[in-house]
Amino acid sequence: MALELQPPDGRKRVKVYELRENDWFDRGTGFCTGHISGDVPRIYVESEDEPNRVLLETKITKDDGYQKQQETLIVWTEQSGTDMALSFQEAEGCAVIWEFVNSVQQHLLSLAAADDALSDDLESYQSIVLPAPELGNLSDIEQIVRAASMTQAGRDALSKFIIRDEYIGKLVPLVTMAEDLESLVDLHRLCNIMKSLILLNDNTIIETVVADQIILGVVGALEYDPEFPTHKANHRQYLSDQSRYKEVVPIKDPLIRRKIRSTWRLQYLKDVVLARILDDPTFSVLNSLIFFNQMEIVNHIQSNAPFLRELFSVFDPRYTDIKRKDDAVQFLHQCAAIAKNLQAPSRAQLFANFISHGLFAVIAFAVKHPNPAMRTTGIDILVALLDHDPVMMRGYMLKAVNEKKTPLTDTLIDLLHAETDLGVKNQLADAIKILLDPQIPLQEPIARAGPDYFKVRSSNLLSDAFVQQHFDESSKRLFQPLKQIANRASLNDLTFQEVTLYSHLVDILTFFVRQHLFRTRNAIHSESLAPRVAQLLTAPQKHLKLVALKFFRTLISLQDTFYQALMTHNNTFGLILDIVYETMPRDNLLNSACLELFEFIKRENIKPFILHVVEKYREKLENITYVDTFQNLILRYDQMQGYGAEADSTLFSQDDGTPRRLPLNGQRWQGVKELDAAEEEYFNTSDDEDEWTQENRTTLAVGVANGSASPVVKPLVDYPDDDDDDAMDTKPEELADQSAEAQPLTVGDIQVEPSPEPTTSEPSSPTAQTPPVPERLSEKRRREEEDEDELVKLAAGPKRRSSTSSNSGAGFLNRKKTLSIGSIGSVEKGGTQGVLGTVTSSAPPKRIAINIGPVKSSVSDNATCGETVSSESNEKENRDDSQAEESG
Amino acid sequence: MSDLDRAIEQLRACRLIPESQVRELCYKARELLIEEGNVVSVDAPVTICGDIHGQFHDLMELFRVGGDVPDTNYLFMGDFVDRGFYSLESFLLLLCLKVRYPDRITLIRGNHESRQITTVYGFYDECIRKYGSANVWRYCCEVFDYLALGAIVLGASSELEPTSSGMGDMTQSTMPVDDGELETEVLNSRGEVTMSTYRPRQRSSSDASTDSRNISPPRDISAAPGQTAAPTRTGAPGTGASGDGNGSATTCRTGAVLCVHGGLSPLIDSVDKIRLIDRKQEVPHEGAMCDLLWSDPDEIEGWGLSPRGAGFLFGGDIVKQFNHLNGLSLVARAHQLVMEGYKEMFDGGIVTVWSAPNYCYRCGNVAAILELGEDTSSGGTVARSNGEYGRSNGVGANGIANTVVSPGRRYRVFEAAAQDTRGMPAKKPVADYFL
Repeated sequence: MALELQPPDGRKRVKVYELRENDWFDRGTGFCTGHISGDVPRIYVESEDEPNRVLLETKITKDDGYQKQQETLIVWTEQSGTDMALSFQEAEGCAVIWEFVNSVQQHLLSLAAADDALSDDLESYQSIVLPAPELGNLSDIEQIVRAASMTQAGRDALSKFIIRDEYIGKLVPLVTMAEDLESLVDLHRLCNIMKSLILLNDNTIIETVVADQIILGVVGALEYDPEFPTHKANHRQYLSDQSRYKEVVPIKDPLIRRKIRSTWRLQYLKDVVLARILDDPTFSVLNSLIFFNQMEIVNHIQSNAPFLRELFSVFDPRYTDIKRKDDAVQFLHQCAAIAKNLQAPSRAQLFANFISHGLFAVIAFAVKHPNPAMRTTGIDILVALLDHDPVMMRGYMLKAVNEKKTPLTDTLIDLLHAETDLGVKNQLADAIKILLDPQIPLQEPIARAGPDYFKVRSSNLLSDAFVQQHFDESSKRLFQPLKQIANRASLNDLTFQEVTLYSHLVDILTFFVRQHLFRTRNAIHSESLAPRVAQLLTAPQKHLKLVALKFFRTLISLQDTFYQALMTHNNTFGLILDIVYETMPRDNLLNSACLELFEFIKRENIKPFILHVVEKYREKLENITYVDTFQNLILRYDQMQGYGAEADSTLFSQDDGTPRRLPLNGQRWQGVKELDAAEEEYFNTSDDEDEWTQENRTTLAVGVANGSASPVVKPLVDYPDDDDDDAMDTKPEELADQSAEAQPLTVGDIQVEPSPEPTTSEPSSPTAQTPPVPERLSEKRRREEEDEDELVKLAAGPKRRSSTSSNSGAGFLNRKKTLSIGSIGSVEKGGTQGVLGTVTSSAPPKRIAINIGPVKSSVSDNATCGETVSSESNEKENRDDSQAEESG
Repeated sequence: MSDLDRAIEQLRACRLIPESQVRELCYKARELLIEEGNVVSVDAPVTICGDIHGQFHDLMELFRVGGDVPDTNYLFMGDFVDRGFYSLESFLLLLCLKVRYPDRITLIRGNHESRQITTVYGFYDECIRKYGSANVWRYCCEVFDYLALGAIVLGASSELEPTSSGMGDMTQSTMPVDDGELETEVLNSRGEVTMSTYRPRQRSSSDASTDSRNISPPRDISAAPGQTAAPTRTGAPGTGASGDGNGSATTCRTGAVLCVHGGLSPLIDSVDKIRLIDRKQEVPHEGAMCDLLWSDPDEIEGWGLSPRGAGFLFGGDIVKQFNHLNGLSLVARAHQLVMEGYKEMFDGGIVTVWSAPNYCYRCGNVAAILELGEDTSSGGTVARSNGEYGRSNGVGANGIANTVVSPGRRYRVFEAAAQDTRGMPAKKPVADYFL
C-alpha cells in the first residue's frame, strides 16, 4: 500500500522547539522538508548553519495529534511523549507542511480503517455528532461529552467535531437564553459542558474559546459552577472591562492587538476561571499558548523602531505628562517580566534593544520617583537585567566609570543611604550586591547565550586593576555610614532607619567577604570596618547583633589569617562572650547563634581562635557552665599546652618553604598585638596563588558553616592531629595556618579518610548506638570534596550565587563537572506544574469517600489502602521538591 | 480595638491588610521570635497541627473544629504557605495571632518556609499578584528565618479526659467496664467519637477519681466488614524503656512530645543538640537544620536516603532510641500527606499530623489535629515563656523515673470547609495590563 502522496516542494525556514521541563527549548533554525521514503512519511529539518546536521527527523503517524496554531506554528507530540513545535518564518511555508501532514494522516487513517480491527471503534468515534445546540438537548450533550472524554479516541473525535462544526460558537447564545429563563439547571449543564470542552486540551478549541466573539459566552457559562451552586462568579464583568487594557503608545498591528487580548484572557482562564480544575496537559497547553503569544508580541515590539522611539521619548525631561511616564515604566516592567520567560537569545536581544533606546535613563527616572511603588518597579526592571546578565550590567557600569560619568552604582548607593521605604531599600541592597560583585560568573551566561554572545560582551571586560579600584571606591562610598559609627559613644539611640541601613550594609559586607575575600580585604582594612561591625554587637537591637554576629561567623569560617588577625586584634570575642552572658542561660536565637560560633571553632579546631579566646577570656569561659561548649574549649586549649614540643619538627619541616617570619621559640602566643603594620601589608599583598587557595577554601568553609551542627564537616585544613598539637604552644598563629596553606592541594586527600581526631566525629555520636548512619553520609562526605555539589548547596540565596562560587571552586580543582542551572523561568514553571503533578485527574476533583472509622488498626485494609495513596502522593511531591532542589 | 485586633478581624474575613501593616507585623513577629529557642517549650494542653499550605478556608474550619485562639493553645508545625491560593491570608493571620497571643500559639518552621521553595511553589507568585511587588514576600521570608525549628510539649496527660458530649454526640451510651485508661480517641468534625483505644491500667492509686467516666465504647462507625478497632499496642506502654530496678520507677511520667516539621536527623542525638544550631538562615540543603525540616519516617531499619533529595528516611529503631535517650514518648511531625489526616507509626513512637483537607483542592484527603491534654494530677505546671530557662527540661531522663508513658491523644478529623463558606478558590487576577 504505497503512499500516493506528493511531498511538498521547497524548503521552508523554520525554528524547531522541544518542550523540556515545561519550557520551550530552541533546538535551532533550519529548513523544513517533507519526504516519503520507503512508504514512510517524514518531516526533516536540516540545520541552517551546518547543512548536514539534522535538527529534526520525525515519522508521521496517524495517531500523532498534529495541530496548527495561528498561522505559523505546528505542534505535536512525538511517540516518545516529547512535545515538539515548528515555528515557520512564513505562514505559507507552514501551510504547505501542514497540508502534507494532514494528507498523510488522512491517507494513513483510511488505510487503517480498511484493515484495522479497531476500525469499528474509530469509525464510531469518527462519527461523533452532538445534538443540535439547544437548551432542550443540553442534558444529552453533557452526557455525550462526558462519555467521549473518557477515552483518548473519544476526545480526539469530539475535538474534531467541535472544531469542524464550530460548536462552541453555537453554544454561546444558549448562555444568555438560559439566564433569561433563569434556568439554573441549564446553566450548570452549560458550565459542565464548557469545562469538559476546555479540558479536551485541544489548542484550537482553546484558541477559539478566547476569541473575541466567544470568550464572554464561555466564561459566562463558567460563572455557574454546579460545585458552588450558591455562587456566581463575575468573569464577564472583569473581562469586558476595557479600561484594564492600557496603552502608552498605541500598538497598531491588529493581529498583535488581538494576541494581547487573547493572552490576557488565557492568563485569566489559567489563574482564575480554571485554577481549581486544571489538569497537567491543559495547563501546559495554556502555558505554551501564552508563551508563543508573548514571544510574538515582544518580537513585534522590539522590531518596531518607531514604536520604541515614541515609547522612550515619553521620558524626555521636556515632556511633562507624569502619568504617562509612570505608565511607560509599568509597560517596560511588564516587558521585562515577560522577557524572563523567553529564551536567552531573544531576551538578550530585547534588553539590548531597550538599552540602546535608553532603558537606563528610565531606571534612573524610576528609582528616584517619589512614589515607593514606582521605585520598586524601577528596581525590578534593573533586577531583571541583572538576573539576565550581571556581567553585561557590570560592563555598562564600568564603562560609565571609565567615561567619567556617574555610574549606576553610585546612584544606587546614595539611594540606599537615603531610602526610607524598607522594601525598596531591601531591593537596592540586593542590586548593589550583584553590581559590585566583581567575580565574573562566566559559565552561566555563556551556557545560556552561546559563543557569539561572549564575543560581544568581552569588549566590556576591563582590567582587573580597574575593577579592583572601582570596587574599592564604591565600597568606600557604600560603607561610609558604617564607618561613621566610630564617632558614636553609644548605640542606644539608633533610629529605626539607621538600624535597617546598618544591617543591610553588614549583610552586603558579609556577602562580599564570602564571595571574594581578597578583594574585600582592602575595603575592610582601609576603612577599618571590622571594629565598626564589632561595635554593632553592642547595639540594643537583637537582630542587628545577629547580623554582626553572622559577619564574624563568616570571617571565622574563612580560615584566613588576615581575617583571623582582625578578630583577635581587638575585643571582638569579648563582645561576643558578652552576648552569651547577657542571654544565658536563656535559650533563644541569639544565644544559639553564639553557641554555634564557638562550637564551630571547637569542632574545626581553629587553633588561633582557641588560643586567643582561652588565653584572653579564660575566666569568662569558666563561668559559663550551662553548656559544655566553653569547658571543652578550655580543655582543648589545655591539651594544646599540656604536651612538650615533640611535634615541632613536623611543623617546621612543613614550614620550611614559607616566607613567614620564624616564630620565637618558647615564646608564648601573645594574642592581640600579633600583627604589625608591615605584616598586614604583607597579607594584603599576598600572591595570587595564595589567594586562589583561600578563595577556594572560603567557599568550602562557608558551605560547612551552613551545615551547622553537622558532624560530616571535614577538616578544611590539615591541622596536625591532636597528638601533634603540642607544638602549637610555641608558635604564633600564622605559623600553624601557614603550614596548612603550604599544602592546599592535599586538602581533598585528607578529607577522604575519616579524620582520626576524636573531636571531629563527636557530633555523630548519636549513631554510636543506633544503626549506622546511612551510606549517604559518607557519600556526602565524599561529595563535599567535589566542591561543585557542595557549592551548589551554598547557593541558598539567589541562584546566580551558586554559579559564581562554583566557578572558583571548579576552576581551582580543575574538576569538570557541569552544573545544570535551569533558568528561573523553567524552574518556576516546573514548580507550578509540580503542583498539579501532585494529583493528576482530568475530571473535576472528586471527594474520595474516606472511612474515618477504625483505620488505626494497621492490619485493616482501609489503612493500608490509605497508606498507599499517601505514599504515592508523597512520592510525587518528593519528586517535585527534589526537582526544585536540583534546579535551585 | 487595637490595630492588631483589626488586622486579625480583617484577615479572618480573608481580606488582606496593607503592605505597611504587613511590614510592621513582620517586625513585631521578628522581635518575638528572636527570643524563642530553636526548640520552644510548650505546656499542655495544646493542639498540634500539621501542614496548612495556604488553604485559608480550611484553616478557618480547623479553628472551628479545634476551638478558637486564644481559647485553645495551638502549635503549628510549619508549611503554612505554597500550593493553596491563600498562603498570604493564612500565614499573616497566624502571624497576627502569634503577635497578639504569643503564649497561646506556637509556629515552627516547615520546609516550605524558605525562599527557594516559595519561589517555586506559589507563595512568591501570590505575593507579587496580591501586592504588586516582592516586598511582602521578602518580609515574610525574613520572618521565616526566625521561626523556631521545633517544639517540645511538656506536662501532657497520659490519659484523656472524657470527651465532652456538648458537641452533639447524642449517641452517648453508658460507660462500659473500666478496662483501662483512654489512650487515643478519634473524633469527627462534629465531635463524635469514632474510635477509642485503651491502655491497660497501670497505676493502682491516685486516679480513682477519674475512673468512672462516661465515654463511648469503641465504635466502628464506618463498619467496613473485616475491620476491627483493634488497639495497636499491647503490653507495656511507652517506647520500650524499662525500669532498671530503680525504686522510684513507680512514678509514671508522661514523656515529652517533640514536634518538628520533618523528622529526625542523624546529626542530632539529643534535643539539646538542636539548640546549638544558628537557625537564622535560609533552610540549608543539608545538615541538621535541613534534616529536621525534610526527613520522613519509613518502614526501614536505621537511616535511608530520602527520595526528596534532602533530609533522610529513618526507621522505627531510630525513633525508639531517640525517644528513649531524650525521655520522649512521642515525636509529632507533619510534612507528609496522609489520607486519614493522621498516622501513627512505630508503636505510636511517631505520628504524622496533616491539617490540609482535600489537599491542593483535589486530593480528597481528610485532615486532622492532635490534642494533648494537660496533666492535672501532678499539680500545676511551670509557666511557659519564650526563651525557656532550664535547658534540659523534660529531656535527658537523668534520675527521673524511667517509665515513660505516651500521652493521651485525641485526634479531631475534619474535612474541607463547606463549599459555600469558602467561595471559589481562585487566584487573584492581575488588575491592569499593557501586554
